[in-house]
Amino acid sequence: MEEALLRAVLFGTPILLASLGALLSERGGVVNLGVEGMMALAALAAFAVGLEAHPVLGVLAGVGVGSLLGLFLGVFAVSLRANQFVAGLALAALGLGASGLLGKRYEGVPLPNPLPEGVLAALALALAFGLHLLFFRTRFGLYLRSVGENPKAADLFGVSVDGVRYGALALGGGLIGMAGAYLSLAYRPSWTDGMTSGLGWVAIALVILAAWQPLRAVFGAYLFGLLFFLQFRLQGSVPIPSEAFAAMPYLLVILVLALSGRARAPKALGQPFDRGR
Amino acid sequence: MRKALGVLLLALGLAWAQGDKLKACFIYVGPIGDAGWTYAHDQGRKKAEAALPWLETRYVESVPEAQALPVMDRFVKEGCQVIFATSFGYMEAVLEGARKYPNVIFAHATGIKRAPNVATYMADFYQVYYLNGLAAGALSKTGKVGYVAAFPIPEVKRHINAFALGVRAVNPKAQVLVRWINAWYDPAKAREATEALLAQGADVFAFTEDTPTVIQTAAKKGAYSFGHYTPMLKFAPGHVVSGQIVRWEVIYIDFLKKVKEGVYTAKNLENVDYFWLLQHKAVEMGADYGVPINPKHVPLLQKASLTVGGKKVSVYDRIMTLLKDMQSPKPTFDPFTGPIQDRKGVVRIPAGRKASLEELLTMEWAAPGVVGDWPGEPR
Repeated sequence: MEEALLRAVLFGTPILLASLGALLSERGGVVNLGVEGMMALAALAAFAVGLEAHPVLGVLAGVGVGSLLGLFLGVFAVSLRANQFVAGLALAALGLGASGLLGKRYEGVPLPNPLPEGVLAALALALAFGLHLLFFRTRFGLYLRSVGENPKAADLFGVSVDGVRYGALALGGGLIGMAGAYLSLAYRPSWTDGMTSGLGWVAIALVILAAWQPLRAVFGAYLFGLLFFLQFRLQGSVPIPSEAFAAMPYLLVILVLALSGRARAPKALGQPFDRGR
Repeated sequence: MRKALGVLLLALGLAWAQGDKLKACFIYVGPIGDAGWTYAHDQGRKKAEAALPWLETRYVESVPEAQALPVMDRFVKEGCQVIFATSFGYMEAVLEGARKYPNVIFAHATGIKRAPNVATYMADFYQVYYLNGLAAGALSKTGKVGYVAAFPIPEVKRHINAFALGVRAVNPKAQVLVRWINAWYDPAKAREATEALLAQGADVFAFTEDTPTVIQTAAKKGAYSFGHYTPMLKFAPGHVVSGQIVRWEVIYIDFLKKVKEGVYTAKNLENVDYFWLLQHKAVEMGADYGVPINPKHVPLLQKASLTVGGKKVSVYDRIMTLLKDMQSPKPTFDPFTGPIQDRKGVVRIPAGRKASLEELLTMEWAAPGVVGDWPGEPR
């Protein structure tokens, strides 16, 4: 039992971090479908720096690369007012491909001094609470939410819509980068091409499941982590085929999604802001 | 006229440039750096190229099954004379490509269908798994050995069964707990499946997955493990006991030499099927190349014993004796020698004979001691 709860937290952590990252920019009205690719590149950067220098610096490298990629997405999704979905998907594909290309020399290399998962897991939980406070107790949070709900009004009150959105993408990208760093420096700890294995997409789905609330994201991520572990813990001891078990975490996430139908997305989500129109 | 002359000169030039070189091209299903299946094939390609001065190779990695035929088209245009397709899923594409290009030689890894210009090949681990099973049976204190398995197909089942037979030969009460992850490559699933098995008391691990995740996870909790596909000692030097290592170059070099010598042509491959084992040196038992058993674990295995033919022998000696036997040109021992019952008590291999190649390639039953879901288990 304790084992299952521990796994829920330790495997839920990368999903939570990535989910918080995506949630942050969505609160500001920018959909980020690039999570998977951002995580992959950040995981590689974190591993490379962790191996050559120190794992703690590796985490910083992962966060840094995540932030930069967030800003990179902003160039298209905010400044150039491109379709956010297309820009995000392109970033996901680009990140996965580029990490595979750049990471060849790190493949199959063991990391001699991995980071303890527990420390990063605690940090992730603290960050979830921090985001909650940021959204509902700070001026930046107010700006962020108003930019996500009604950018025109926010603009009228003198809030820089583009500035806030860039800020949200950079901060969110940092969290996504930390998720990647967790995978390559603590969870595995190694780097291989495609090691994010779809967790970025789970994180994006989780944003909706969590109704754009950081604290609900904690619950959702840990639930996914628990179910993911249980599919193997229970396999063979209950007469359900393993393939059905493998689908369980995803099915339950969809089920909960359907049940939380009342969740309302930020009104301006996915819409580029153009002052002239 | 000038144009025709130009074409002629170009053709001559190409023929001259090719000279006596044989061009072999490889289609890989995954990325080379996966430290598993594709990596091993690429090592084989490189070693073959180093060993055969007249060999020239090319490869394309991460080719989805539906894209195999276009890649073959390209290879043939570039002058490939031999095409190696290194995934079971390329079967239909290989057969189609072989019909389209009857003068090109095809070889299909793990394949089961041949043609005049299509051979099949496989380097199989089941003997090595049995030997690793002996060590696992000796090292497990809880009597529970974990196996993180990819897909429930005959190849993987054959390996788990051989492993379980080895475990049980040393500890007749031991269990091999199997968890399917339904993936060849998925470190997250491998990690959580290992965690689940650790939580259930498994203290020794073997697996089929393309990363060292199982080894890394087991080592954190002090559990022993056996590497798979490539040498994995470096990922947990204190806990990797041994493992299965493939040497595809042995098959590639043999095959290509015979093509070069004209023994194999695009007309006589109908019956060319490599199912190469320890005796052909296509596979190796080891934590690393040339390290059959991690020296750190040798004393433990020397202390453990089992009874063979009424005589007590150490597990270490038994492993080494059998390894030597199975590496010899005429092995006398085979793990799948009858009488062998499955876990339901049905006799699968009668007394007095070894499993046939056909029986090995279609194995669906589960050996005694295997615990867990077993899709496709015969009634």
